[in-house]
Amino acid sequence: MGLHIFDTMGTTVSLNVAGALPNASTLAEVEEAFVDIDRRFSLYRDDSELSRIARGELPLTRADAEVRQSYADALDWARLTGDAFTPHRPDGVIDLSGLVKATAIDRAGRVLEAAGEVNWLINAGGDILLSGESNVGGSREPWRLAIIDPQDRQGLLCLLDVTGSRSALATSGTAERGEHVWRASGDHRRDGHRPDERLPFVQVSVLADDIVTADVLATAILAGGPERSDDVLDRFDVDVLTVDGRGELTASPGFRRAAGLLTA
Amino acid sequence: MRVRALAASILSSAAVLAVGWQLGGQGQVQVAPDAAAPAASAATTAAPQAPSAAASTPTAAAPTAATPTAAATAPVAAAPTASGTFTGSVSRTRYGNVQVQITVANGSITDVTALQLTNDGGKSVSISNRAAPVLRTEVLKAQSANVQSVSGATYTSEGYLSSLQSALDQAGL
Repeated sequence: MGLHIFDTMGTTVSLNVAGALPNASTLAEVEEAFVDIDRRFSLYRDDSELSRIARGELPLTRADAEVRQSYADALDWARLTGDAFTPHRPDGVIDLSGLVKATAIDRAGRVLEAAGEVNWLINAGGDILLSGESNVGGSREPWRLAIIDPQDRQGLLCLLDVTGSRSALATSGTAERGEHVWRASGDHRRDGHRPDERLPFVQVSVLADDIVTADVLATAILAGGPERSDDVLDRFDVDVLTVDGRGELTASPGFRRAAGLLTA
Repeated sequence: MRVRALAASILSSAAVLAVGWQLGGQGQVQVAPDAAAPAASAATTAAPQAPSAAASTPTAAAPTAATPTAAATAPVAAAPTASGTFTGSVSRTRYGNVQVQITVANGSITDVTALQLTNDGGKSVSISNRAAPVLRTEVLKAQSANVQSVSGATYTSEGYLSSLQSALDQAGL
């Protein structure tokens, strides 16, 4: 098993390869996928294209084609999720940070594929894209993933052996970076919840066939709550595991079979 | 048996849904959350009892008339060999408005479908893909050594250092 770890986008990326690590130029290209997208899309960098657009220095129509395409994609996602996912900050500034990391992971995965790599896993800040199988003590086995318990960050909610077309697992939550998601409605901090009330989620994991879909829908469900979860599961081929403010879990069929969970 | 298994699987996937059951406008069976499975047999026995009520209440399917799937066929009266699709009354639960639909052939349930009513135009959708409540087991901490990667809310570079993912990476698994 080869392991390559690097810091980017304010977080840490772990690249896990079942065999030997790819050569140095492939690894550099993987890192560059993150660095390049971070450099152009991140609002916390004053010199990024999006920062220049936000300050009015650069008209959106003159922005790089990839930036415009990414904004168009984000608008599509906003429409598909009833604006639970949005590329606009409350002050109107275009904010593609909801797509940036997943886009970079996706591109890094394409780099590995183009280099002929088959069995690998990228974990960027808790969002995972994988291919093929892992190597456990010399034998090939499905990649085994776990989802963090938001109430105990050293604990696990469940274990998941990933097979078939499902290759991406993204988790959105309020645990580490605070309340960075704008809620669709209501104040979830008020007291006196009715016992039958559906509470807002504190963590949402989405298993999908690609990392952008997984990440966007995890964000949308975290922001949109239980109703959005129902809607997403009706319309998208994904699986969802949610944790609400009481620590109670819901799981769609693909997660109900995960080790560590019991059907209620 | 296939029918029973099917009914059990659908009902267990919606196990905590409290389903208010109403068949043919007759007696109502409230299904408790942890008694969802027996609901299938309750419905089975309820069907043959329908004739007297059904004969006098041609609009027996009224509670569900608002939904496109309320296709309860009229000849409920032929109870011993009742056939058709029957839809239970709508029950408000924490998971939304829910009702159960059964298909009966010659007095036996051949299919059970959980429906959830959406707000847009009273359209009914299957909820078999929806998320249902699950419980966690407490045996996982010791198993983390068998895990190759961990998904969680985005950690920072600093957060990574104290994360489970960092521990896994250091273990060189």
